Amino acid sequence: MECVVQGIIETKHVEALEILLQGLCGVHRESLRVHELCLKSVPNLGLVSSEIRLLCDLEQPEPTWTVRHVGGALRGAGADQISVLVRNMMESKVSKNALRLFYALGYKLDHELLRVGFTFQFHRGAQITVTVSSVNKMLKLHSTDEAVPVTPGIQLVEVTAPASSENYTEVVAAMSSFCEYLAPLLHLSKPGVSTGVVPTAAAAAASLMSDGGGTAL
Amino acid sequence: MWGREWGKLKIAPFHFRVTSAMPIKWILHWQPNPGTTVNSQILSEVSQCAESINGVKDGRWKSTLSFYKAMGREQTIGNEFPRDFVGISLAEQPSKYFLVIRGQRLVVEAETSIQAIMEKLQSYKTRVALNFEGNQYQLGDFQLRVGKVVPMHSESLRGIVMEMEYLPISSWEKSHQMMGDFFDLWQEALSKRSLSGHFVHNEPNFREYGLTDQYSFQHTAVQYASITAQMIATSQGANQQR
Repeated sequence: MECVVQGIIETKHVEALEILLQGLCGVHRESLRVHELCLKSVPNLGLVSSEIRLLCDLEQPEPTWTVRHVGGALRGAGADQISVLVRNMMESKVSKNALRLFYALGYKLDHELLRVGFTFQFHRGAQITVTVSSVNKMLKLHSTDEAVPVTPGIQLVEVTAPASSENYTEVVAAMSSFCEYLAPLLHLSKPGVSTGVVPTAAAAAASLMSDGGGTAL
Repeated sequence: MWGREWGKLKIAPFHFRVTSAMPIKWILHWQPNPGTTVNSQILSEVSQCAESINGVKDGRWKSTLSFYKAMGREQTIGNEFPRDFVGISLAEQPSKYFLVIRGQRLVVEAETSIQAIMEKLQSYKTRVALNFEGNQYQLGDFQLRVGKVVPMHSESLRGIVMEMEYLPISSWEKSHQMMGDFFDLWQEALSKRSLSGHFVHNEPNFREYGLTDQYSFQHTAVQYASITAQMIATSQGANQQR
């Protein structure tokens, strides 16, 4: 299970966001370069169609693979009240043959993306990961060297934290509390709920860039 | 036992375990003579043989192999999806799970969470699983495991397997002579018991699976998938002759 919120930020303000995150998290950023392959089951496989994601971390000296299954989100009146998406999610590290295996099992590539950016991972009431990345599409199949941004000038910010059915309310609270610090620069909400860039972003970014984040926003 | 010459093979004292690289393992399965079947008496004789050559019993082991079956919306799913897709859990790696499709020479090493992921996908389900379990014995630089093959939730004996592990070497090629010699000695000791069958060692072509000469848990998973297929083929062959 994981808790997720997303938002967008103009690329010109990413440096300011990084300064803010550095100050808030107290850890160093880690570079991100992940090739994400989304596979879907062929017709007739399974009682319902299914989807699986393969993530290849290209930032490592030797690419490493992870299989990720994103499941259904928490539903009901209670879930609607929460500003954070709580959904089932499972992952497994896998060896490099995983893509060939899923092709052999009857899964086909639906789409692929290259995410390039950075992450901050820290503990603040919950184990939180902030990912800031440009989302790129490949012009040729699997060609990560020839990728172009899907939305030039705009980057995606994702804040996630692992959770369980026992502790997700605490995790939601921790995430919501943290996200408030980012409010001057960007608005974070449930994936699928589009909010656009925030009007205060330019001023907030200028403030952060002028004094390196020393002034409280 | 220590430093005893056993034919051409010197069983050296067990001084240390190589931890930086994995030791070589051969996995053998029992092939009953035509017209006979495997039974618990044979299992007992094999275990006694390990002890008679001064194998020191030092614990139990258990590995599991599950058969995955494709689920489909149509009544008959046909041959469009692999029928030889298995998942393997190994005794010495409880945090890992291995997926093998023999016909496509594919092996994937994953974390145990992959089982839950496969369950969530609902595209493949496991209905039948086999347990490989028994005692293990130390014999100088060798470790032997003798195990029965039983369906999960059943005591019905379907086969007998043996693992022969040579601790000092992790190269498949370099260990071949040593393992071959040990296997010959083992077969010789076992032959004195006049059992109706013998152990078989068929080496999978690891290169076809993309595996190197350096032994790994993936090599073990491939061997288990291979011997299971052979045991099933033997059993089906025996059934057809009746």
